[in-house]
Amino acid sequence: MAAALSGVLAYLAFGLLGLIGRPRLFSLLALAAGVATFSLWAPGFPEVLVGGLPWGIAVAGDPWTLGMWALGLTLHGAVLLHGRARKEEFHPLITLLIGTCLAGALSRDLFNLFVLMDLSSLLATILVVWERRERAVWAAFRYLVLTEVGLILYLMGLGLVYARTGTLSITALAQLGLGFSEPILAVGAGLLVAGTAVKTGVFLLGLWLPPAHDQAPTEVSAVLSGLVVKVGVVALARLSEAFPLGPILVILGALTGFGGIAYALWEKDIKIFLAHHTASQLGYMLLGLGLGMELGALLYAVAHGFFKGLLFLAAGSGVVQTGKREIKELAGRLSWPVAVGLGVGTWAIAGLPPLAGFAAKGFLSQGAPFWAKAVFSGLGIGTAASFSKLIPLLRPIGTGPVGGLAVLVAGVMGLGLGAFFFVPELREPRAVAEAALVAGVGYALHWPLRRWPLRFPELGLDRSLVSLLFGTLGIVILALFLR
Amino acid sequence: MEGLAGLALGIALVGLGFWTLVVRRNLIWKLLGLDVAAGGSILFLVALGYRPGGRPAIVGLGPGPAVDPLPQALVLTAIVIHFATLALALVYVVLLTHRRHTQDVRRLEAEERWPQP
Repeated sequence: MAAALSGVLAYLAFGLLGLIGRPRLFSLLALAAGVATFSLWAPGFPEVLVGGLPWGIAVAGDPWTLGMWALGLTLHGAVLLHGRARKEEFHPLITLLIGTCLAGALSRDLFNLFVLMDLSSLLATILVVWERRERAVWAAFRYLVLTEVGLILYLMGLGLVYARTGTLSITALAQLGLGFSEPILAVGAGLLVAGTAVKTGVFLLGLWLPPAHDQAPTEVSAVLSGLVVKVGVVALARLSEAFPLGPILVILGALTGFGGIAYALWEKDIKIFLAHHTASQLGYMLLGLGLGMELGALLYAVAHGFFKGLLFLAAGSGVVQTGKREIKELAGRLSWPVAVGLGVGTWAIAGLPPLAGFAAKGFLSQGAPFWAKAVFSGLGIGTAASFSKLIPLLRPIGTGPVGGLAVLVAGVMGLGLGAFFFVPELREPRAVAEAALVAGVGYALHWPLRRWPLRFPELGLDRSLVSLLFGTLGIVILALFLR
Repeated sequence: MEGLAGLALGIALVGLGFWTLVVRRNLIWKLLGLDVAAGGSILFLVALGYRPGGRPAIVGLGPGPAVDPLPQALVLTAIVIHFATLALALVYVVLLTHRRHTQDVRRLEAEERWPQP
């Protein structure tokens, strides 16, 4: 426990020191301290109340914490390497952001989670506007306003739950086992879930996500999509321990999965396309949580962090190197490392063996009921169909800087191959054939889909706010109905 | 009674703030609405900790039951966070005003469809 907390403290302290001077050195020191403390507490530790009874803050080193720390430290290494030319406060701010996310993974206290989620949003918006482009400022403003609305809802839900139960600890709430037994609790839990869903970027609630992830600088997009979004997923996992959220999370998961795919299918701009796919991949995690397959959801969150971080790093580097953003125009202009990065990322996200996406999807579909398997296959076909667009990009010319791409390629391959060789169920011909079939159907579907494009309404700030409020109302009513 | 009035006022302020946030087109007005909503949520939290006849939750302030101190401690942090968020959002409004010479959401979003730089 002490090791994990000192790791977080080292991250925050080195981040702050880096703001004063020597930014890259202190960021490197923070990463080293993080890896050292992680290796000290690595097998995990049971829940501890920091500050003692009755109002200590609960922290624990469970599998979610382990996964998020492994993901966060790897991503930080990749980003440090990739953005090593960046000057001034860029790296200290990234360090602070990652430190906040590491702390968020440790916390098992509702209010502490609120503080860390809000802190991570603040730091993330500062990083989104780093290059001071107008569109990025607008995206960051939307991000800030929408997450603030979500966190106001979260705060009210937290108050209701506390007023009824007298505790803010997830474990204590789970032990009380009250569930949705009273209307106040149902409303409170509904508001908590809605606020966290906004922060996570779930479709229709957190519509800040596509513009923010699109406009952010390359390395920031990778961290935002890889790690910051996952803090919300961890918070949802904690909440689902305390409350029976299954049906709500299943509905949210299907909504965000298919909503994200619908917007991504005909998107021409590569970064917006990837941003919509962050929303769609959240669907897998929420469905996994809703069906009670925590381990599968965790593995998917980590795998998604690796391969989406890789995709964003590669796509962002390609956009910076060529000055083009449209997928069609990027074809035949990318350098070798970028094309390899995009290829590995696409292979993984399409769920083809033996990379990380296959392992994560395999874990999720094992033990899932039949209808859930059908939903997973639908999501997989949609993902493969929309990622088929990237195949023409895999004709590289010339060489370019490799940077942090190598770290994440190694992560995607390591996680995928490790799971493939250590879990015998994944090596069964049936699992491999199913994955290949889903990807093949997706690839075949992408030809007719490309011929008949659909147009969806653009989602401005006001519409996003309205859909957020109505989504919250829907979740609260659903929670009351489930009582 | 006072507790209930506080709760009702908090919810009303949150509703009013969100209404302003959605309906107004000017960014400054939107942020004012957001601030009112944040204030409403803080009042809501404090009012939830109210106990009938409770005295302020300060040690050594005399006998009798105190109101719940925890929501008040939480609210302190929440106020700081809302302040930081609002300040940062205002910085973005200043940046946007300098570049675009408008604070109107519809005009800002209409210009969003310009080609990427």
